[in-house]
Amino acid sequence: MMKQRQKEHKLSTAAKREARTAYLCLTPALCGLTFITYLPLLAVLVLSFFRWKGLTAPTFNGFDNYIRLFTTDPYFKDSVKVTIYFSILAVAGSMIYSLVVAMLLNRKIPARGFFRVVFYMPYILPAAAVYIGWSWLYEANFGLFNYILKSIGINSIMFLNDSDYIVPSLALIAVWLSGNLIVIFLAGLQNVPRIYHEAAEIDGANSFQRFIHVTLPSMSPIIFYNLIMSLITNMQIVVPALALTSGGPGNSSMFMTYLMYRYAFRSNQIGYACAISFVFFFLIAIFTLILFATSRGWIFYEGGDD
Amino acid sequence: MSSINLSGSRSASLKGIKARAKIGNALTLIIVSAMAAIVLLPIWWIFRSSLMTNNELYAWPPSFFPSRWLFSNYAETLETFKFWLYFSNTMKIIVPAVTGGTITATICGYAFARLRFKGKKVLFALCVGSMLLPPMVTLIPQYIVWTRFLGLADTYWPLIVPYFTGGGAFSIFLIRQFISTIPRELDEAATIDGAGPMRILGSIIIPAIKAAMIVVALLIFITLWNDLLQQTVYINTEPKFTIVIGLSMFRGGLKADWAKIMCATCLSFLPGVIFYMIGQKYFVEGIVMTGMKN
Repeated sequence: MMKQRQKEHKLSTAAKREARTAYLCLTPALCGLTFITYLPLLAVLVLSFFRWKGLTAPTFNGFDNYIRLFTTDPYFKDSVKVTIYFSILAVAGSMIYSLVVAMLLNRKIPARGFFRVVFYMPYILPAAAVYIGWSWLYEANFGLFNYILKSIGINSIMFLNDSDYIVPSLALIAVWLSGNLIVIFLAGLQNVPRIYHEAAEIDGANSFQRFIHVTLPSMSPIIFYNLIMSLITNMQIVVPALALTSGGPGNSSMFMTYLMYRYAFRSNQIGYACAISFVFFFLIAIFTLILFATSRGWIFYEGGDD
Repeated sequence: MSSINLSGSRSASLKGIKARAKIGNALTLIIVSAMAAIVLLPIWWIFRSSLMTNNELYAWPPSFFPSRWLFSNYAETLETFKFWLYFSNTMKIIVPAVTGGTITATICGYAFARLRFKGKKVLFALCVGSMLLPPMVTLIPQYIVWTRFLGLADTYWPLIVPYFTGGGAFSIFLIRQFISTIPRELDEAATIDGAGPMRILGSIIIPAIKAAMIVVALLIFITLWNDLLQQTVYINTEPKFTIVIGLSMFRGGLKADWAKIMCATCLSFLPGVIFYMIGQKYFVEGIVMTGMKN
């Protein structure tokens, strides 16, 4: 009796000690979550209800910032449209591109390691340099792409100076940059049990049917993961506007993050910029929630693993 | 009789499948090579442009190779594009941020993977949830605190210190995933031998997750590498410019001297390529892990 109580006591002090160590270890993460993530998010929400030019004290103005955003702001609606348009193109493009490349690389071909390095390479280049480098390829008269277009008899395109072409042109760069998705897809493909493919093959399924009925279902959790990550990355697009286009021509590359930057750091409308930030956060949250809500329908988890 | 016949036809069909697979693989190799060439073409085009005269750049039709490899372009570019200054400035941010981020991510990831404590589930959910929250959203309040309250405008502190909080939720998550794959028996054996959690972390866990730590380091490296927005916001004076700020300013100042802009672009590509070549093996291995247990 005594012994058992002593043992319990000992156990609970050990547990306490373990918990104390854990909290100590997690101090950095706790600070980060508090001061870098959740408190600033709250601050953004609060500030979005204030008029604040930065120099004088902020004054409360209720929903005025939001009303101005959705009614009179000359950039906001375009910026939402452009951001969503870009994200759809970039996410769809990079998902398809990287899944196709991953499936090709998953076959038994020589020099796979080399090809993997090649397709991954763009991802490790600094984005600003990539967009600046590509701006020369897109150059209206002497760029590589117009050279290719002209040699197959198509009129040249002012890629980055034409408001119809700029978003698809930038999205193509984002697709080129998506090498990290390839590596993740490749890992997923290597985890699809070979037996499934062999069984389907013996049953006479052709490679397209195998793709639809074997590869896609067993890859669905990874497709979902890549989809979310790619969406969040591409919604935040800002580098090309900062480094190249300044939101132009017209408002055709006025991405939301860039608009937020302009209001907050160029014209000191801090409260107003916070309203944009919060709408931006809200948009991403909605897209993510939609993806999560629909995921139950199409994600296939093997054997109900926790 | 019939059984022999059956096995004969089966081996024939298997042979057919194998032959088809061979043709398929050859075809795949051709397609993959073509795609790789397309992916590399922009990089080649940028590089070849950096070695040409501007006259040659505006020649029609353009050629795939420079007539003379003008490495002197680089020397001229370096006169105004202060690459070494920008590079060492970038390193002044990246080295402490990567070190601090990797160490704190390891410690936090370890606590989430192995230690028992109250509120673990909630904390971990908050942590994963913050992965879905883009850093752009919270930039303004952070900027106000760093510059107004702490007076640290035009310093590297606001770009470095946030990485000391676990290097971002993604890094913590990645380390935790890695540690979860190490058999617990090892820890338990060490506990029986009287080792405390920190001893276990140092002598069992860290040696086993070196690959993951390198991945975290490289991911933080890439994040900083790409983060033109925050660097633009916090750094205001030329002696403190990083590579990406220096490059965009350089381009803004030249507009049409494409040969030099391409030189500066290639120079900015270089450090990433070198670091990637060094850590390549671990990097791919680790990225693979991130996508797995989800």
